[in-house]
Amino acid sequence: MRARADLAVEVDRHGNTVVGTLRCQAPLTLVPARANGSALVHLVASAAGPLGGDDLALTVRVGSGARLRLVGVAATVLLSGASRSAVTFEIGAGAVVEYLPGPTVVTERAEHEASLVATLARDARLRTREVLVLGRAGEPPGRLDTRTSVTRDGRPVLRQRLLVGDPALDRSLPGLAGRRVLATESDFSPDEAEAASGQWWSRSPLAAGGSVVTVLADDAATATRRLAEVAEKTSGDESL
Amino acid sequence: MSVLAMLLADSRFPGGGHVHSGGLEEAAARGLLRAEADLPPFLTARLRTAGLLAAVFAAASAHAAGSPRGDGVWDVLDAELDARTPSAAARYASRVQGKAFARAVGVMVVPSVDGDCGSTLRAVLAATPRPHHAIVLGVAAGSVAGAARVAAYLAVSGPASAAVRLLGLDPLWVNGVVAGMVDEVEAVAGEAVRWAGCAPAELPAPSSPGLDLLAEEHERHHREEVRLFVS
Repeated sequence: MRARADLAVEVDRHGNTVVGTLRCQAPLTLVPARANGSALVHLVASAAGPLGGDDLALTVRVGSGARLRLVGVAATVLLSGASRSAVTFEIGAGAVVEYLPGPTVVTERAEHEASLVATLARDARLRTREVLVLGRAGEPPGRLDTRTSVTRDGRPVLRQRLLVGDPALDRSLPGLAGRRVLATESDFSPDEAEAASGQWWSRSPLAAGGSVVTVLADDAATATRRLAEVAEKTSGDESL
Repeated sequence: MSVLAMLLADSRFPGGGHVHSGGLEEAAARGLLRAEADLPPFLTARLRTAGLLAAVFAAASAHAAGSPRGDGVWDVLDAELDARTPSAAARYASRVQGKAFARAVGVMVVPSVDGDCGSTLRAVLAATPRPHHAIVLGVAAGSVAGAARVAAYLAVSGPASAAVRLLGLDPLWVNGVVAGMVDEVEAVAGEAVRWAGCAPAELPAPSSPGLDLLAEEHERHHREEVRLFVS
């Protein structure tokens, strides 16, 4: 199944963020909700998957000064067969975006390619979370090839490619250290962040500003709790 | 492989590599890596992630050093490698080693650096006073293939010799492990060479979450207690 979804939000003349464009195709369903001054949109998967042959693309444009919260309502379960998903953000000057999709479970026969590309204006902000779960309980993971590319004002901020499903990497200390869950929370902002770490988690400032919190854990609940604990220690006022 | 590349890959080359364990010291200190059998998987995964990244940027840097180019290429490569190194501790380790390496190369008047590359090394240091190790290695190596091979090899040989010192492993056995990885090192170097001429933004970006976490914790412990290695 090939599906495209587009979302554009902008600031109206009262200074409120409003949804300008909202086009979606099953299984990519966008559901806008009311929010005070900022836009809240829920991302709902209206079919199982992705599964073999699925090619999903979500494009989000956020106008200058707009505030958007895009929240997934459920886990994404990558099912058998080759599939792709691409998420693209264009975020204008002074805009603030939170993108919080649900966890992604890489089931045994999955072969999924995922990309997140974000183009930020100089003082735009994007906070995003990714929770990757290697297989359902007791199940080895299939294959996931995930790429992240974030630029600010044309300069690279974060470029990473992670391959999941190769035991030589998944089980190794340099890779995922045998943990079943990799969770990251990235704050792509111009702010300087402070480093902090413990066993199997860290908050590291990025060279171009902002920070990435990385957690390796044995289950998703532990990983997300750890993310929340680390975020609490640093809480800025930029969350929506 | 050129004699120049051999010189740069030699553990006796005073480029500062001997004070870096590539995450191995932190893993050993935590008891995650104890015995001989733990070493090969660590080295293989390190080669395929951090090793590939270093080889790609060394090759791209050697390519840039050998081609006509506009100003700004060193800034661009530096920023692209920064973006592929989310761990601040890993960036710091790379720059400490790059600075030491640049100093050694500059003082020794390495042949490739004495001619055209002398000005190249100066341009790199002018743009980035604390250059990443892979980038300055690429400038010094004199060829794209040499740069890629040296970077891929060092990604393995450094932690391997650290394992001898930290875990008391038999040096002959450890060298046997490295010798057994020759084909893998060649494959990673070959992949890096194929990317050398591509736009910096398009270069591979292999991540290594485990190494990043080990690097961050190592730096914290390095400040709090005595550690043998900087990284």
